[in-house]
Amino acid sequence: MNIQKVLIANRGEIAVRIIRACRELGISTVAVYSEPDRDSLHVRLADEAYCIGPMPSKDSYLNFTNIMSVATLTECDAIHPGYGFLAENADFAEICESCNIIFIGPSPDAINRMGDKAVAKETMKLAGVPIIPGSDGLVGDVEEAVMLGRDIGYPIIIKATAGGGGKGIRIAEDEESLVKQITAAQQEAQKAFGNAGVYLEKYLTGMKHVEIQIIADKHGNVVHLGERDCSVQRRRQKLIEEAPCSVLTPDIREAMGNAAVRAALAVNYSGAGTLEFLLGPDGQFYFMEMNTRIQVEHPVTEMVTGVDLIKEMISVAEGNPLSFTQEDIVINGWSIECRINAEDPERNFMPSPGKIGFYLPPGGLGVRVDSAAYPGYTISPFYDSMIAKLIVWAPTRQEAIAKMKRALAEFAVEGIHTTIPFHQKLLEHPVFLDGNFDIKFLEEYEI
Amino acid sequence: MFKLSEIKELIKLLDQTSSVHELEIESEGMKLAIRKPDRPEADGTAVQATPYNAYPFTPAPQPQSVQQVSYPVISEVPPAQQPQAVAEGKLHKIVSPMVGTFYSAASPEMPSFVNVGDRVGEKTTVCIIEAMKLMNELEAEIKGEIVSVLAENGQLVEYGQPLFLVKPE
Repeated sequence: MNIQKVLIANRGEIAVRIIRACRELGISTVAVYSEPDRDSLHVRLADEAYCIGPMPSKDSYLNFTNIMSVATLTECDAIHPGYGFLAENADFAEICESCNIIFIGPSPDAINRMGDKAVAKETMKLAGVPIIPGSDGLVGDVEEAVMLGRDIGYPIIIKATAGGGGKGIRIAEDEESLVKQITAAQQEAQKAFGNAGVYLEKYLTGMKHVEIQIIADKHGNVVHLGERDCSVQRRRQKLIEEAPCSVLTPDIREAMGNAAVRAALAVNYSGAGTLEFLLGPDGQFYFMEMNTRIQVEHPVTEMVTGVDLIKEMISVAEGNPLSFTQEDIVINGWSIECRINAEDPERNFMPSPGKIGFYLPPGGLGVRVDSAAYPGYTISPFYDSMIAKLIVWAPTRQEAIAKMKRALAEFAVEGIHTTIPFHQKLLEHPVFLDGNFDIKFLEEYEI
Repeated sequence: MFKLSEIKELIKLLDQTSSVHELEIESEGMKLAIRKPDRPEADGTAVQATPYNAYPFTPAPQPQSVQQVSYPVISEVPPAQQPQAVAEGKLHKIVSPMVGTFYSAASPEMPSFVNVGDRVGEKTTVCIIEAMKLMNELEAEIKGEIVSVLAENGQLVEYGQPLFLVKPE
């Protein structure tokens, strides 16, 4: 079937991204917005726009009823959930199905199987994908945790099964710490995710966060589009991503890519997805989690492969086979992305919402800016603090870094604090330039 | 006097945009009003895109000849929507608490819940908003007199969209 009208169930830069892809495909777009987002760029760009609720996300961007109301009354063929909000909500995907509206993403079953982190690990183990040594499923009580701890070896990481995106994680350096933290972790998980289930994993060190982008159609074809190195993180939130990963050799890339494809096949996946792995200095890699949605950092993969992932997601949702095979995917050049947030790096990254005055994003060959900001736009304190994603492409890593530095220096944002100065310093740091940093980089080094 | 080519251009522009549904121009003693149909069966231009259209506009002060063109979408300003000349600041707006379809009556055969001029109490049902096959009755939540009905029967209404203007008691 041909999708002719899409409702974008999201806001900010990703909503703009999706509207752009739809425009190019000749698909009509319907935007939804909360009251404070009335003047947002995605609202202005869409063909139609409807207010779906007040500020709180639960009453607007997470409001199934209002969103489905708009979708059905405006006769949309499909809904693109973007990332966050309802993107990995299996119930929402199911409701779309029952209203005969295509959910641009995987099936509710695939979302469920990968959304529950403990279940996902088990599924991966059965699919022959290497997993981090740890508990076999959820941990019951403190005694069980202590027994497991002795088996696994310290330090140990306690993870919420319903968590994800870096949330719901605690580290126990020894048995005493484990005993203290396990009950607290369970209670926290219940409160934050509505699910008290936690599992244990060996806390590995010197690891890089390397993820593989896959895309699958509804005919059983799965292709991987190479990796992204997302090790530069602050409090488990990614700040810089790059493709390819500077330490990956072709055979490890192939092994990881194949593991990712096996994982997708194991859950009958369709659409875009990302397999997150931890890569050790010895070249050993371990499955961490699978994100059953398009990710924030998808542009770096687009830059090195030439594939428009959003368009491909829509094509796959329509029922078309993938428009390329694994052999067609060639990684070309180097891409880096900096997430520019409205935060003050001098004050411990304190959020800095407010009205943007003068605003001038950089340009030039190999420079891409994905943003919903504009002069006079107010970054509200109610949602995430992202101003823009600055992405560069160049033939080599060295040139990409030089280009990113040049682009950051041109990026003018007045009226609010941004993390641009932080990124500029980061790109001068010898450890970053060397390429051999791990996920503790920002914890261990002063920028 | 509007030239035919100018009118055609205006119609074309109006057709291409989904955010403007009514256009009224006065020039040299002539008034031209262009209004898009908003029945759901119309091809995609039917749905109201923004809340701007819900606000009542004041009628022209003196009578003038309205230039009519034989194009299906042109019509005069519907008299039912013209409000009384009451200062907006004193009026209470009843707004939609959800996204759905506005119905002025319990069913097509029944009379409207309220009309302009009716007095309402806090618990008076003023309309039904249908969302996902569920009918939600909306109560006035204020005592007063209905001054204006801002939504049309069968129209898609969004969260916060003004539906009625009430002169509070």
